Parts: sequence; C-alpha cells; structure tokens
Amino acid sequence: MNIPFRSQEGGCASSKASKPPQWRQDFPIEWDGDHYVSRREMVKFLTLGSLLLAVANWVTALASKFLHRGSRAERYIGSASSLEQSGSMLFRYPTDKDPCIAVRTPDGKLVAFSQVCTHLSCAVIYKKAKNGLFCPCHHGLFNLAGEPVAGPPTRPLPRVTLEQRGDRIYATGMEG
Amino acid sequence: MSLRKQGITLFAAILALVAFAVVLQLWLLTVSMEALLGGQYKTLVPAAAASTLLLAVNAGLLRYVFRFDRDAHGE
Repeated sequence: MNIPFRSQEGGCASSKASKPPQWRQDFPIEWDGDHYVSRREMVKFLTLGSLLLAVANWVTALASKFLHRGSRAERYIGSASSLEQSGSMLFRYPTDKDPCIAVRTPDGKLVAFSQVCTHLSCAVIYKKAKNGLFCPCHHGLFNLAGEPVAGPPTRPLPRVTLEQRGDRIYATGMEG
Repeated sequence: MSLRKQGITLFAAILALVAFAVVLQLWLLTVSMEALLGGQYKTLVPAAAASTLLLAVNAGLLRYVFRFDRDAHGE
C-alpha cells in the first residue's frame, strides 16, 4: 500500500514524485528487513552460547579426572576391639576435616562411610535398631551399603575402603 | 512471496529450535555440576557428549541459515 507522505517543502507528494523523503533516506530499512536480520543474528548468538555450554560441560567432565577429594594415603583409624564394643567408631579420613563412621554389620562385615549426610551435611549416626545410618536432622536413613532408604537424601554416602591387619584397622581410600 | 520474507518465518522456527536446544544444554550443565559435587562421575561424560550433539544440531541449523542468507542475497 502506498501511503502519501509530506515532502520537506510541506506539500503533499504526488505519485509522480521521484525523490523519496529525507526520513526514508535516513532510515532505509523496512520492518521485514529488520526482523530478518535480528532473527538471523539471534540464531548466531544462541549457537555461540551453545558452544560455550558444550565447552563448560566438557570442562566439568574433565574436572572429575583431576579432582582428588583428599589424600588416598593409608591411615590408622582405630582398633577392631574398640569397634566390637560400641558397634561403630568415628574417625577422620582422608583429612582431619572429614568425619567418617565405621560399622561392624550384623553379618560381621566391616564397612565405613563418610559421616556427612548427602542431604544437608548433618552427621549421620549408627542405629542398631534400624540397621542403618540415621541422620537426626531430617530423619534420613542409609542402609549399611550406604544407599539412601528413607527420608530426604537421594545420593549414597561416599564409602571408605578399609583394611584390617590383626587388631588394627586402616582406611585405604574413598569411593564415590 | 520473496525469499527474504520466507526467511523471517523460517528463522523464527529455527530460533525456537536452537533456543530449546540451548535450554537443554543448560539443564545438562546444571545436572553435571550437581553430579560433580556429589562425587557421581559416571554421568559426566555422557552429559558432555549429549551437549556436544546438541551443539552439532545447532551448528547445522546455523549453517543452513548462512546458506539461506546467501541465496536470499543472490535473489
């Protein structure tokens, strides 16, 4: 549709006018052209964002290869006789800031886990009646394989590998 | 209908697809970060591979946009 426009001189331009008005010369882009370019540029911009996100994902994947949660050095954690008396034993591994708990299961197996609940980091305690590790903050419960069985936690407890030599128990590494 | 006018509609559709893929990638990244902090490393490489696949889809769509743009200029 041709909309008549006012010329700079103030008169109404006729269809014979050959020269477009000044504003048309200053802003020669149509709305259609503007939409075309802006959408094309947005696709470019989002694809660049997509590239950055893919790179960030690979950085996250590679970080896991280099991330060592503490030392894997062997550490003496206590005697087996003291564990038999109480049923569970608290110790620190791999550093002095990482609380862990060792438990003798009813079938005689020795297991140990991080004491930090995977829900909101409260300390879990051994409950013989429930045959599991109980978190008193939000009533989460882990079985003696470290898997969450009740309450809000969804991730298992990191397991500490143990080695018993005579009466002495050593922590030798972390899993998970 | 000129090729350029068709491009407006086409680019809007491509934009929606690319935006959806980017949102999926964002979700994958947040899941990966949570898995990393939770010590569950098994999901990290598949998540990164899925993110790369989505990037490949986006790159293919962008290549199509460039080719269409070239054709529209030559019209």
